[in-house]
Amino acid sequence: MPYKIAVILDKARLERIRGTSLEGMVKDLYGGYLKAIELNVPDDIAQRILKEFPRARIDARGFIEETPVAFKRELFEVMAQLKSTGPEVFGELLKPERLSRVKEAAAKEDEYLPPPNIAYCG
Amino acid sequence: MPVSLKIQTPPPHGGKLVDAVVRDENKAVSMAAGLPVYDIKPTRSIIDGNPIRNVYREVMSIAYGFFSPLDRFMTRNEVESVLKERRLTDGWLFPFPIIFDISEDDLRKLGVKEGDRVLLRLKSQPFAVLDIEEVWKFDPKDIADRTFGTPERNPEVVRRRFDEKHPGWLIYRSMSGLALAGKVHVINEPVFKDPYNRFWYPPAKSREEFRSRGWRTVIAHQTRNVPHTGHEHLMKNAAYMGDIEPCHGILVNAIIGAKRLGDFVDEAILEGHEAVNKYGYISPKRHMVTMTLWDMRYGNPLESLLHGIIRQNMGCTHHMFGRDHAAVGDYYDPYSTQVLWEKGIPSFGLPAPPYDVDKGLKIRPVNIKEFWYCPKCGEIAYSDTCGHADVAQRFSGSFIRGLIAEGIEPPPIIFRPEVYRVIVKWWRVYNYPFVNRKYLELKERELEVDLKPMEVSSRR
Repeated sequence: MPYKIAVILDKARLERIRGTSLEGMVKDLYGGYLKAIELNVPDDIAQRILKEFPRARIDARGFIEETPVAFKRELFEVMAQLKSTGPEVFGELLKPERLSRVKEAAAKEDEYLPPPNIAYCG
Repeated sequence: MPVSLKIQTPPPHGGKLVDAVVRDENKAVSMAAGLPVYDIKPTRSIIDGNPIRNVYREVMSIAYGFFSPLDRFMTRNEVESVLKERRLTDGWLFPFPIIFDISEDDLRKLGVKEGDRVLLRLKSQPFAVLDIEEVWKFDPKDIADRTFGTPERNPEVVRRRFDEKHPGWLIYRSMSGLALAGKVHVINEPVFKDPYNRFWYPPAKSREEFRSRGWRTVIAHQTRNVPHTGHEHLMKNAAYMGDIEPCHGILVNAIIGAKRLGDFVDEAILEGHEAVNKYGYISPKRHMVTMTLWDMRYGNPLESLLHGIIRQNMGCTHHMFGRDHAAVGDYYDPYSTQVLWEKGIPSFGLPAPPYDVDKGLKIRPVNIKEFWYCPKCGEIAYSDTCGHADVAQRFSGSFIRGLIAEGIEPPPIIFRPEVYRVIVKWWRVYNYPFVNRKYLELKERELEVDLKPMEVSSRR
């Protein structure tokens, strides 16, 4: 079964990819409220991601989810740098040096994630 | 004699609600006097030491009637009966072993034997008494394997072998291997902390609440999650399955206890569901939120049996079941709960659905498929009704958790803003939006309750 992973694009990320080939790959989700780029993930890469990040899982839609925030951030960076969504993105992303940086940042996420700056129901 | 089309409140499972709470303080003190004392401890994961269960929750669910007719921690014979036929020794359906385990060292220090009574303390205060009917040994791995089934023995629904990654399997696997069986009585009623206090409706109280609201038909919604709009649509649509009219009430019953890492925190689950009626997405006249104390076993069809028991005891006439009910990972077929409630699972001792077997359940299932967002319909749609499956955007709890973790507010079409704000509220309290190790340890230290001080004589 082919797997996928989605990178959500906020305003800053949309600006970064403006004018590149990535811009044409942006998909509207949920009536346009969210913008995302979906990458195809070969099975061996999917299994590698699940192994490297034990809490990651494949959801009912076939998407790899619950990867650390640091992983998703790095995925966008590599995608933007290479201006690509092809398998070379994962080749670069899963290089030992980059992967170990991601894991170090991810380990801190287990204890603390900064909450968003919004008003909340008291 | 014509059979009425109007469905009435079902009796409790087993015919009578267990009420093993001693409310008379003098009697309670006298029951506890001179007893050997055991301080309740959490079950800690044999893998990483995280607290994954606290048996006090099972004491509460037994004593307050949620698990009726079960009124005790199980003997060896009763556990065998449950594992072979998913029935108690008196024949009533019951899916899980309920075991009070204790270490050999603690048992030796207690110096108790069959026929004795033990005072259970919680947070250093008297809490309950256990009358020891049997002391018995077990193999935790064997109990864990037989509880959940295997692909070989249960091919209808089990897809792969259970292991330590399954939180429910791990609970049984991490038990000590030595059990005290016998009846339990709460002698010092715990006081629930905020926000849990306003969601505590033991079966006697929930039945009374339904009566006072004029709810003849009530459909239960099981949750361990903060609700997205898919859950909301599930509730709204499943509630149409009443009898001569849609169900009068929707009862959300949240399972509260130790959860797996990455689930939402309990406070956010309760207040998130409360926000659905507080802000009118479902009228509070038709929707109420309650809780059951239970460290989830994530047992999909077996868990759904327990859910049916609990909610029938609470007075519900119906129970909605969706895809992946009470599941984690791909151990069970995603629709195994619906298979159970439509046809039965013979290899688990149910040759027919739970309502079609002797000493079974009287609560009616409502098996629902899924809701998704359809960009063509421009709305949330039911999978069997919407003809645009090729462009449907499915709800995924994992996807929503991913958005939240990245600090992105989910779009209002899939997540009510007020519910999101509840998540943020508790995120600020715990510095993290989901269950993590710190939360598990804090939860184990604090629990959902406090105990009033109770002076008990050390002499009989």
